[in-house]
Amino acid sequence: MLDFSRTWLPFLYLYGVGGIIFILGMVLILRSESLNLKRRYHRIWLFILFFGFNWYVVIHSTVSLAALGYESASAVIVLLFLFVMVFLYLVVTTLNRSKSA
Amino acid sequence: MIQISSTFWVVIFGYFILILGFGSYFAKYNRTTEDFFFSGRRFSWWLISMSIVATGVGSHSFLKYSAKAYQHGFSSTMTYMNDWFFVPFFLFGWLPIIYYTKIRSIPNYFERRFNPGVRILATIAILGYMIGYIAIGFLTMGKTLEPILGWNLYMIIMVVAVISGIYITFGGQTAVIFTDLAQGFILLFSGIFIFILGIQYVGGFGSFWNSLTPEFKLPLAHFNQPSNFNFVGIFWQDGVAGSVGFLFMNQGLIMRFLAAKSVHDGRKSVVFNVLFLLPISTICVSNAGWIGRSISNLMPNQWDAGIKLDHVFTYVASLITTSEVVFAFLIAAVAAALMSTVDTLINAVAAVVVNDVYKPIVKNREDKHYLKIAMIVSAGATVLGAASTVFFNNFPTLYEAHGFFHSTMTPPLVVAIFLGIFWKRYTAKAAIATFLGGAFFMWLGGKYPGIFIAPFDHGIAMNPEHPYTYIRALYNMFVCAGVGVVVTFITTSKTEKEIEGLTVWTIEKAREYFKGGKPNDEEGEKVEVTWKQIEGDDPNVSFSKSDMEKMKAEVGDLVYLSDKRKWLGGLKSIHSVFGKPHEEDGLVYLTSDQFKQGHFIEGKLLEAEKEM
Repeated sequence: MLDFSRTWLPFLYLYGVGGIIFILGMVLILRSESLNLKRRYHRIWLFILFFGFNWYVVIHSTVSLAALGYESASAVIVLLFLFVMVFLYLVVTTLNRSKSA
Repeated sequence: MIQISSTFWVVIFGYFILILGFGSYFAKYNRTTEDFFFSGRRFSWWLISMSIVATGVGSHSFLKYSAKAYQHGFSSTMTYMNDWFFVPFFLFGWLPIIYYTKIRSIPNYFERRFNPGVRILATIAILGYMIGYIAIGFLTMGKTLEPILGWNLYMIIMVVAVISGIYITFGGQTAVIFTDLAQGFILLFSGIFIFILGIQYVGGFGSFWNSLTPEFKLPLAHFNQPSNFNFVGIFWQDGVAGSVGFLFMNQGLIMRFLAAKSVHDGRKSVVFNVLFLLPISTICVSNAGWIGRSISNLMPNQWDAGIKLDHVFTYVASLITTSEVVFAFLIAAVAAALMSTVDTLINAVAAVVVNDVYKPIVKNREDKHYLKIAMIVSAGATVLGAASTVFFNNFPTLYEAHGFFHSTMTPPLVVAIFLGIFWKRYTAKAAIATFLGGAFFMWLGGKYPGIFIAPFDHGIAMNPEHPYTYIRALYNMFVCAGVGVVVTFITTSKTEKEIEGLTVWTIEKAREYFKGGKPNDEEGEKVEVTWKQIEGDDPNVSFSKSDMEKMKAEVGDLVYLSDKRKWLGGLKSIHSVFGKPHEEDGLVYLTSDQFKQGHFIEGKLLEAEKEM
């Protein structure tokens, strides 16, 4: 049996500390209006930035689960992630269309 | 030593001649030092993104990841998969600043943001960083070829340095980008090819997967053990110092982004690279180690248990390839990848030396003169990089040499760049203190690691021979940032007006500076046009009123005009300004100089788009 320091602690540390860094970056670029949500392209960039963060969370969690023998759980996570991201993308593009119309 | 015949050499030399010829062909696009270093800011995102693969993969190398993958399993991928946290800072902080303020080098930024004194310190630090990086590239190349050639390591390094020096010296940035583009594709292909051959060799994917232990398959290493490969140390050394170092202060990479046709294309190239190409690349560079472990578990009689770790890649490649031609091709591709990293950095060293050292001393000379100096510096950087390999060869593996290098060289620059971009209050004196005070505390930490670095060690045991190779990055960044913050609070900062466009808080001003007026952000369409040559030397280009209306452009707005064939990736293109409109729809008026600058071809359609 592998201990917590070998299995999930690195994962939690990576996305905990890394998550704080990422959120700090998002706050800075939004507050400085370098990422300006009044611009259509920048709203898509906001989606891409959050997509990227979750993309890596999903990659690391699914490979960890598969390594530990939970292959079906990792497949479910991948499908769920794809579903949520497609849904969010449709929401962003629909909102963009209605705002520019 | 691995047995080879003359076929191997024919393939290796054939490959190198092809790549050198490919790069040299694009040297004709260098008309000025601007072209030599920045390729005239013309390329599409996909071309930049693919060319970064060769630079990134080369720098992290097949060799060192195969070694760690063989030892520690899938966690060898950690270093490629922890860059996203800093992407917001880069895409909407550093990238628009360097692009819009037309900064030509990192020291150049330091002079404008702070003062010439900080520029000198930054120049020294950045040159040290890049020469070190070149040295690691050469050392990796030497170790790749060592088990094949059986020559002395330093002899191999010298031969490789001469070959690398030749085409970068004459080719410039356009040659580098196109050579790297070709090599990016070849590298990914080679890496995947090795994986497929390896999987076949061990009897299919199921057999491969089941031959490895769960611990080996976990994508992240143990939190703090062993001292030479643990998660938390590598997170701070690579995920933080390394990622910021690579994205923010690697002059070679920055020059690549400055060669993008727009900030938007620069952003797309980063995202595509980090989201898709890096995960693929990490499999490409690591899988030889995983396959090696699988072979050693399933077929121990076929595996040489005494293999040196840095030779795992070459050994696995020789085992799984049944043909010598394929083996030679794989080795050539890897060697070429390393050259890609090295050539980018050599070009970057030349840019820094010419723009930040030579030009301030020898002013107002013809552009040809500076181009000649750039070539001489490129050759000099190659020699210096090759000589510096002696120091890095003292580490047990390339991975540890690289880890130590990143932990030690990057923190002062990383901290100074970061605070400079995101903290308006950060002062010139604080930047100097970050470099000098930071260096002092880093030296103190290196001298007494048990006292200074131990409080940051997260439970990692101290190896007396190489104490805290990775986690020292956390201590180093902490002391550099600490000194910078303290000095900022006791000194006076520049006024907002003085640093307009140089921090994330005034990106709009940077855009205005770039355009020379208020940006026009109204979204228009792209238009297809043919061209007509006109007399004179008007720097602007003229379109019809109706075409300008479609593009939502006004006189004085910036325009990007390129050959319509997308696959050229912007090689034949120019940036200009909308001049007074005419009445001929579908036609753009160009002077002969603009025509030459764009390398346009008669009879080929052009595509125009308003930039801002």
